[in-house]
Amino acid sequence: MSSTAAPPEPADYAGDLEEFNKTWAGPKGFFKWFATIDNGPIGFGFMFFSVVFFLLAGLMALLMRVQLAVSENTFLSPEVYNQLFTMHGSTMMYLFIVPFLEGLIMILLPPMLGTRDMAFPNTSSFGMWTFLSGGLMFYMSFALGDVPTIGWFAYPPLSGPEYTGLGTSFWLLGLGMAEIAGILSGLEIVVSCLKIRAPGMSLARMPLFAWTILVTGVMIVAAFTTLLTATMMLELDHEIGTQFFDPNHGGKPLLWQHLFWFFGHPEVYIMFIPATGFISSIVPVFAKRPLVAHTYVIIAIVLMGFLSFGLWVHHMFATGIPWLSMSFFTAASLMIAIASGIQVFAWIATLWGTRPAMKTPMLWVMGFLFIFVLGGLTGVMVAIVPFDWQVHDTFFLVAHFHYVLIGGVLFPCLAALYYWMPKLNGRMLSERMGKWSFWTTFIGFNVAFFPMHMMGLLGMPRRVYTYPSSLGLDGYNMVATVGAFLLALGFLLTVANVIVSARKGERAGADPWGGDTLEWAISSPLPGPMFYQIPPVYSRHPSWETDESKRQDERIERASRATANKPETWRGILMVDVLNGLPQSIQPLSKGGYAPSFAALMITVASMGALLKLYLVGAICILLALVSIIVWLWPHEAYLKKIRESAPALEEESGLPVFTTGEKSIPWWGIVGQISTVSLMFSVLFYSYFYLRLYSPTWPQGGIPRPDLLMPGVAYGLLAASALPQLWARRAFKRGEEWQVSGGLIGTLLLGAAFIWALYAYLGGLEFTHRTNAYGSMFYLIQWLMSGLVGVGMLLNLGLHYRYRRVPEDREHFMPVQMQVTAMFWYFLAVLGIAVYGVVFLSPYV
Amino acid sequence: MTETMPPSLKRGVGRILRARGVWAVPALGAAFLLGGCEGDRIQSTLHPASEAAAKIAWLWWVMCGAFTAVFLLVMVLLLLGVYRRPSGEGTGPPLGGTRFVILGGIAMPTVILLGLLIASLETTVALRLPEKQTLTVEVIGHRWWWEVRYPDQNIVTANEIQIPTGVPVRLVLKSADVIHSFWVPRLNGKMDMIPGHTNTFWIAAEKPGEYRGQCAEYCGLQHAKMAFYVVALPPEAFRAWVAERQTPRPAPEAFLPGQEVFMQAGCKNCHTVRGTAAVGRVGPDLTHLGSRISLGAGEIPNTPGHLGGWIGNSQRIKPGNLMPRSFLAPEELHALVRYLEAPK
Repeated sequence: MSSTAAPPEPADYAGDLEEFNKTWAGPKGFFKWFATIDNGPIGFGFMFFSVVFFLLAGLMALLMRVQLAVSENTFLSPEVYNQLFTMHGSTMMYLFIVPFLEGLIMILLPPMLGTRDMAFPNTSSFGMWTFLSGGLMFYMSFALGDVPTIGWFAYPPLSGPEYTGLGTSFWLLGLGMAEIAGILSGLEIVVSCLKIRAPGMSLARMPLFAWTILVTGVMIVAAFTTLLTATMMLELDHEIGTQFFDPNHGGKPLLWQHLFWFFGHPEVYIMFIPATGFISSIVPVFAKRPLVAHTYVIIAIVLMGFLSFGLWVHHMFATGIPWLSMSFFTAASLMIAIASGIQVFAWIATLWGTRPAMKTPMLWVMGFLFIFVLGGLTGVMVAIVPFDWQVHDTFFLVAHFHYVLIGGVLFPCLAALYYWMPKLNGRMLSERMGKWSFWTTFIGFNVAFFPMHMMGLLGMPRRVYTYPSSLGLDGYNMVATVGAFLLALGFLLTVANVIVSARKGERAGADPWGGDTLEWAISSPLPGPMFYQIPPVYSRHPSWETDESKRQDERIERASRATANKPETWRGILMVDVLNGLPQSIQPLSKGGYAPSFAALMITVASMGALLKLYLVGAICILLALVSIIVWLWPHEAYLKKIRESAPALEEESGLPVFTTGEKSIPWWGIVGQISTVSLMFSVLFYSYFYLRLYSPTWPQGGIPRPDLLMPGVAYGLLAASALPQLWARRAFKRGEEWQVSGGLIGTLLLGAAFIWALYAYLGGLEFTHRTNAYGSMFYLIQWLMSGLVGVGMLLNLGLHYRYRRVPEDREHFMPVQMQVTAMFWYFLAVLGIAVYGVVFLSPYV
Repeated sequence: MTETMPPSLKRGVGRILRARGVWAVPALGAAFLLGGCEGDRIQSTLHPASEAAAKIAWLWWVMCGAFTAVFLLVMVLLLLGVYRRPSGEGTGPPLGGTRFVILGGIAMPTVILLGLLIASLETTVALRLPEKQTLTVEVIGHRWWWEVRYPDQNIVTANEIQIPTGVPVRLVLKSADVIHSFWVPRLNGKMDMIPGHTNTFWIAAEKPGEYRGQCAEYCGLQHAKMAFYVVALPPEAFRAWVAERQTPRPAPEAFLPGQEVFMQAGCKNCHTVRGTAAVGRVGPDLTHLGSRISLGAGEIPNTPGHLGGWIGNSQRIKPGNLMPRSFLAPEELHALVRYLEAPK
């Protein structure tokens, strides 16, 4: 059970170590933090800033508990209390748990999968900086003196322009940034899990942790895209006077609730599923045997991810929706309880009779099981419609979701922290301090939150800054407040433990716990270039595998050998087949730079400029952001040259292509991810369109005539037709007919421009605007987004055309995949255009 | 030390101290569940005063019992699994790993949850709006008070809903601004009040009495102080109440100075007093203010002293409410209070 895959001996097939190290070394100096794209520092950034936000939100929670300790307290004004619960909730939900998990995932996933970095390192960097900017924008409201008081759920009309000001606009924008960061990490996680594993790591051999992350990634993309679309609509209500959620102009407040909870319910599982991944990683190592009922657990995770999107209405039982549809959501909620049950019993079965050592990670796991089972059971209770009618929006709910989020998510995170700390900084956390921290946290938590069940049942609503003594709740509240301080002390002990142990902690070897996954096969802390040689994998527990006779697949061995200290001059990783894990290609990763962090910064400044009505600043920064995104996406010619030079030898040795297209190449997966996200966003918009129509007495609203078919038909016809020159260019590219490629691309550009011109000529002649009513808002938003996307597609075509003319030596190498993704995106736009025409222009006639 | 403890905590601790050994856990639970006396429980879901609320409370007790058993079972299995010395043959859980997971993780929850689903559906159906209703009341949520209208009886009041006992009362729930939620825990569950959208709901009370309710959907600054009372009257008393409300009497001469203050100090811009020129609809209808239980939507008792304080500066009592401070001379204020509290 000890590690067998030690770092390889320099053999005759290995590349030059010094050169290799230099390629993978990160940037130096203070500014390295802005230039780095390595998963280590980026993941650390995510975790560090999220913990800062966590401490802030925790402090706010303590202030609120002081206010509620006794009835009729005047410690905080109602205004401040409402600000605090808004910022506490939204910080914890948007700025702490998900970014913290993303950081930990970013650090742990590549070594677990046996690869050298995440699939899109530039995106990691951009995501981290957008998340941080989003967080700062959240907290800008303190500087503006206008902290939002809308709750983390921001229900309109209370969160709309009528009742809130600039602080809420900033908050919404910050939320949007955090969501963009989330979506990008989600895409990156999915592609990394599916494609960039060690050779031989089939889906069946992929660690359970990676399975949970894969499911989470898919969920993040779907849920966050929905919320991003809704946030954008609400922000537009604030900034440019659209009417999506204003009931006085045809908008529907309930539409927000549907969209919000379509995000909000999966969000809970987005946090919980990785947490189960931590538990499923730690339990087998302490039990010293593989997880029992492994397949059932995977099925349960996938089921959980899937079902969680069918539950959103269970947050809306009191909004007056038909009882039959509520019953459906109750049934779905109960099914998800079974998925949790399977996992709990699998963990117990794995531990059964193994007498695991009660080290700190295991203690947190035990605490997790205690609290999570309780929280899960109250979760089943609130899925029962009549009972939910009573406890919905009371302290019972507050108790329930803190049991789930602290017990079910934070405890596993702390277990993970104690368990993987050696991989983060090479040292163990102090066991003694860890045990103190655990017991203080565990006791404090239960003292703080158990009484809240009773407060809710006895009639205390949520989000109240005070309560009358006649409710008889003073005793419970006082106990809860005392518990909250104990809980805070427990957390601080772990923070102190991390700080102290970072200097004085006992040095950990590569594998202090006897772990089964690949990260324990390499040194602690994780080395710069993660794997000198990407290891061949023949087992679900590669570090426990001692049977050498299994190592016989020549394709796997050959691919692994070819990566020994190689490629030397560029960052290369292996891509594998999704299902069987056989190596498919060697792909270059970007080498990093300032462009992603600069783009994030510029987008932030630009949006702040727009909100503060400093339009010139906004315009300049948005231009700079665009330029830096182009710089970031533009293939780095000198780097490409290095790749072209060493590719033939590498291809010869590994038997794998370097320059390739389709699902064997990283850019292809990037564009598939983008297309999926945009499709989801338009699905949300179409859903909103039909939702508004369903609940409007007339459609279009407010006497607006049904849209003209001819002019928009011409515009969208031009867009559909533009797929033809694109197809022509693509064909000619394959045959190498230079002038036809140019002709095709220019033809596409001209037709794209004609589409935009025709569309805006039509829009300019309309009688109504986006301010008229919700119909007008929806109508214009879809058109604006469509024309924006066509603009992006045109930029892709322009870039391709430029490179095709100027860098002919690359036509056989990287450019084919550039041509492929450009064309894929353009075909997608043509199809999307047809869908938009159908929904916006044809459907009102049906 | 026990002297400084809040009463419910003291009782709870007392209970724990008297309990011994294995009974400590259920006793702790019981202390939490039953802590406090009937009198404190004016807004408790566990002290139902209607059939509907009783059904929900019953559902709670069933779930509470069943889930406590499930929780204890899982914890016992966990502790047994972790701490028991492995016996001779192997270290697997009883019945073997996979079968253990299928039985515990799939079969057991399925059986329990199916039963629960049936109970839930049954209760949901039983809680539907009864076919036969005798009375319709329209309740409109405002920031932060409740407008109450009896459309068939042509009565308007605020922050208080009079209903007859023993019959279901149909509620039409609306909102004038943001989302609120109507909740009287001892009578029924809650239902949201959404602008641009009408929800129907119902309540019934078995016995005469005052039942406190509170807004349950966060609605801004004073969400915490948006309460109201349902006053259940025996049917004859309710009929008398309706009759009294339907026959407006002009204020007796003695109160006319107060009425004058009301008209001149700007009160009438926001408030209505039926039978006078005051028809404002921003704030509550004040026609029968004297008969109400509370002022400021459940915030303070309705006494002349409190009313004077409220008119003088309601911002101190409920900061952020829409009523501005007034600067009346003492005798004006006195007359105004007398006028408002007078039976009309």
